[in-house]
Amino acid sequence: MTDASRTPLLEVRGLTTIFPTRAGPARVVDDVSFHVDEGECLGVVGESGSGKSITFLSVLGLVRPPGKVSAERMMFAGQDLLALGERARRAIRGRDIAITMQDALTALNPALTVATQITEVMLAHDRAGSMDEARAAAVEMMRLVGIPAAAKRLDDYPHQFSGGMRQRIMIATALACRPRLLIADEPTTALDVTIQAQVLELIAELRRELRMSVVLITHDLGVVVEQADRIMVMYAGQVVEEGAAREVIEDAAHPYTAGLLASMPSLDTLDRPIHPIRGQAPMPGPMPPLCRFLDRCERTTEACRKSVPLQPIGGGRASRCVWAEEVAHG
Amino acid sequence: MRLGKFVERFIGLIPVLFGVSVIVFLMITLTPGDPVEIMLGDARSSPEQEAALRRDMGLDRPIHERFFLFIANALRGEFGLSFFHRRPVIDVIGERLPATIELTLVALVVALAIAIPLGVIAAVKRNSWLDRVATVGSLFGVSMPGFWFGILLILLFSVKLGWFPVSGRIGFSAEVRSVTGLLLIDTLIAGRLDSFWQALRHISLPALTLALPMAAVLMRVTRSSMIEVLRADYVLFAEAKGLAKARVIGLHALKNALIPTVTVAALETGSLLGGNMIVETVFGWPGLGRLVVEAIFSRNYPLVQAAVLLYAVTYVLLNFLADLIYTWLNPKVRL
Repeated sequence: MTDASRTPLLEVRGLTTIFPTRAGPARVVDDVSFHVDEGECLGVVGESGSGKSITFLSVLGLVRPPGKVSAERMMFAGQDLLALGERARRAIRGRDIAITMQDALTALNPALTVATQITEVMLAHDRAGSMDEARAAAVEMMRLVGIPAAAKRLDDYPHQFSGGMRQRIMIATALACRPRLLIADEPTTALDVTIQAQVLELIAELRRELRMSVVLITHDLGVVVEQADRIMVMYAGQVVEEGAAREVIEDAAHPYTAGLLASMPSLDTLDRPIHPIRGQAPMPGPMPPLCRFLDRCERTTEACRKSVPLQPIGGGRASRCVWAEEVAHG
Repeated sequence: MRLGKFVERFIGLIPVLFGVSVIVFLMITLTPGDPVEIMLGDARSSPEQEAALRRDMGLDRPIHERFFLFIANALRGEFGLSFFHRRPVIDVIGERLPATIELTLVALVVALAIAIPLGVIAAVKRNSWLDRVATVGSLFGVSMPGFWFGILLILLFSVKLGWFPVSGRIGFSAEVRSVTGLLLIDTLIAGRLDSFWQALRHISLPALTLALPMAAVLMRVTRSSMIEVLRADYVLFAEAKGLAKARVIGLHALKNALIPTVTVAALETGSLLGGNMIVETVFGWPGLGRLVVEAIFSRNYPLVQAAVLLYAVTYVLLNFLADLIYTWLNPKVRL
């Protein structure tokens, strides 16, 4: 669904985030480039520790020291994020780019009422002139995300809500200023299976209603299949594969993506054995100039013992595997 | 909080206070030393006189009888006469208590005013030079003895610079009618700004002497609790909302970080309300501390018993107050 003639809403090139570790500097996000189009849903998939969350915290300017962020290019809606000062970056956060975190229980402040937490975003970005106005808008927002008796529950504290309702409140908080881009970081991981579908549906609905772009960060390919237009797969800080969602899922062009798909249980093919990827993702730290998936891959050859670039393989897709063609069509 | 819980907490006070009374009574009566001997001193007195005094003070009765008498009287709010002053214990304590309360409150306010901002800044700018200075300073504050620091303050600010008076609560000329017993308030009620100023100058150095060690402890507690809270997801989420830094730190983080500070402040306040003999002696402050220490030395049973009971009530009430503040700071905390 990529349209080359359109300027993307968010365009990032060469994003690198480095954290010092005992072993040396770790490139937790390593030369990552991507874009999110207007109204598009980009699925970002990877195991925990693959750098997917940090990538977007870097875009928001929320990486804390000693983490260091650099990029060749970071454009949002025509603004050069790299050239903006802290104040201007802050003005974009919450207003134009919002994020929801994995666990609403820890992301919502236990000591403040829901009213405070939703209204403060609108007040901070001058989206409401007075507290009354902000409260009215907060109630509306809570209704929009499907909280029953919203007006009555406005002055409750987060712990007084159920897990699913808390997730909705966090989403309401993030969407309070009707941002153009929502970064949903593992929106379903902390939830019961029955509620997961509801929350995903809610995000999809809100995306249509508010005409916003969504970045859906998840370790669960199943979540992405339904929602995303495009997929970006991350492994050990690097993008290893990207492309249109359907194509990536139907024939993955990187052994890691293929491994993720094979390790996914599916109702249609219950008799099919699940193949977990062997081994573990590397610990963050300095990496040798080799394919990072080397020791977990089943196709490893001598040709893999070098640094492999992310290469276009046609159709707007790209893979970081020397055997991309073979993986995709094998 | 519901009224029922309130009443429940107060009923819970009774066994605590009873227990304290028993312990105090036993400890003081079983301690060697005889008040009659101490009162008569070296003066030659006949055994008849001695017996009369003993009967007079009720010390001729058996111990269990004395205990029940003490409890029965205490329940009626009567603590008897101070052996030494020959006046009701309540009156003697009542004269000294306001001075101690005033000193404690001022010290508490000063300590919090120093500790919370410093603790927050030290946590936010962790490992900066400011953090290091504050941390080393607090080590100094905790470890320096009160009498020594008090004397230093007097030498510098009272003797050398002449900014503050050397001792006492207020000058004679500045006395006002007592309403609350707290001079800083009474002088304002009387509309005497000059007296208020005098009272403030009198209380400054002793309050500072008590406040600094307390501030040092509170600052460390605030700092470490703040460091913990700043790592929380909700702080990151608050930042992601684009809120001003002051709001993220001063509201989102601090409100969650203050619970340990309140706990320690309540404990410290409790011990200050007992009166600090050393600081009172150094600054000639007419508070409870010296009174109670003297009472212990002279085996002034009624006064000591009443004072310790007062301490116990104070501690329990302060803890209760701290619990109330917890529920405000973090509504998840249930009493």
